[in-house]
Amino acid sequence: MIEAVPAHRLARGVRLHRSGEGATLLVPEGIVELSDSAAAILELVDGRRDEAAIAQLLAERFEAPVDDLARDVAELLAALVERGFVRC
Amino acid sequence: MLTPANPRSLLCELTYRCNLQCPYCYNPLDLGSSRDELDADAWLRVIDEAAALGVVQFGFSGGEPTLRRDLLVRAIARVTELGGYANLITQGTFLDEAYLAELLAAGLAHVQISIQAPGAELAAIIAGTDVHERKLAALRMIAEHDVALTLNCVLHRLNHDTLADVLAFAEREGIRRLELANVQFYGWAYKNRGALMPTREQVRRGAVLVAEASERLRGRMDITYVLPDYFEELPKPCMHGWGQLALTVTPDGRILPCPAAAAIATLRFPNVRDTSLDRAWHDSDAFTAYRGTDWMPDPCRSCDRREIDWGGCRCQAFLLTGNAAATDPACAKSPDHALVQAFRDAPAEPAFVPRRPSPVEKVRA
Repeated sequence: MIEAVPAHRLARGVRLHRSGEGATLLVPEGIVELSDSAAAILELVDGRRDEAAIAQLLAERFEAPVDDLARDVAELLAALVERGFVRC
Repeated sequence: MLTPANPRSLLCELTYRCNLQCPYCYNPLDLGSSRDELDADAWLRVIDEAAALGVVQFGFSGGEPTLRRDLLVRAIARVTELGGYANLITQGTFLDEAYLAELLAAGLAHVQISIQAPGAELAAIIAGTDVHERKLAALRMIAEHDVALTLNCVLHRLNHDTLADVLAFAEREGIRRLELANVQFYGWAYKNRGALMPTREQVRRGAVLVAEASERLRGRMDITYVLPDYFEELPKPCMHGWGQLALTVTPDGRILPCPAAAAIATLRFPNVRDTSLDRAWHDSDAFTAYRGTDWMPDPCRSCDRREIDWGGCRCQAFLLTGNAAATDPACAKSPDHALVQAFRDAPAEPAFVPRRPSPVEKVRA
């Protein structure tokens, strides 16, 4: 049996921003600097893909082990959920 | 001389006009004349210059910024067009569906709306007018839309004991972001400090209530509790350093390193009517005066927290000592720390002066 896995999305008023100086997350009255890998993960957060789907896509793009990426994705999203910048 | 990084945030104070009269307002006592307000073209130029300097966070505040409707909508649209992030800091009483729809279509990302107290009666005493229900209607309307929403309540002696009710109200309303800021003493709040200073017991109990609620609501509600620095041993790192990240433009065009800086009578501030944001940021005496650490006296100069606290708040140093280059008296190491203790422990005053253009009268709370 397949369980429904929640898909993440950026919270209201949270925007991924790219400029010459790198990627940031623009949040209410604040700026969160993002590493390249965090930005790559957040670009795939769209309210439909679940964590496994995001990790799979990144594994294909970067030719990296999917288990490692799944751990990175889970860690980043959990931290951002805690801060209220990502919802699931 | 230190070469500053570029600013990342700009606060646009569109007007000092407001239909509320909150005694804790940080706006200057001299609310000036609305005839001196910058026009829309000047504001759009300010936004363009700020974006070119590297600003991505734009705040629209006042006074009550929604009083300048056409300007506000155009300004937010320009911010959006330039890839920036638009925050609106409002008391909400002028917002209706049509106005909100215009703001959202322009790209507004975040609204911070304030209440004065959880109940209408106390809120009316503090605001000097009975608008609590209109604020709640605005809050509920905004919550229906795709925009970030922060509920803000400034805490002081008159409403501190209702903090548990503010938390319960926010939870009932499904608020995701709650800001509980103890009053900071600038402008009208400084004038009214005798009536507004919370008691030590209020501050302590507030911290306990907020810690408990933050734990229980983790992941559902993000709560910020801003401690009053008068009750701490360390100063707040004002603006993360003078002229390092942020700037403010006042309704009449003055360019300030911090929203309260106009109180520093010993500085002359540049004005967007005469100069560019770029020149003000890099070259003006007002912005270079306290940038970095070279200006610091001891105990700041030799303190290992000098690039953490940045000497504390210049405005507070000026208000309490008359010298904006003094160590912030909120710091326990300041030779003037006794001023803060005296200020904090002074007997409570039973009345405050409502924020309004002069003449003023006192209101018993």
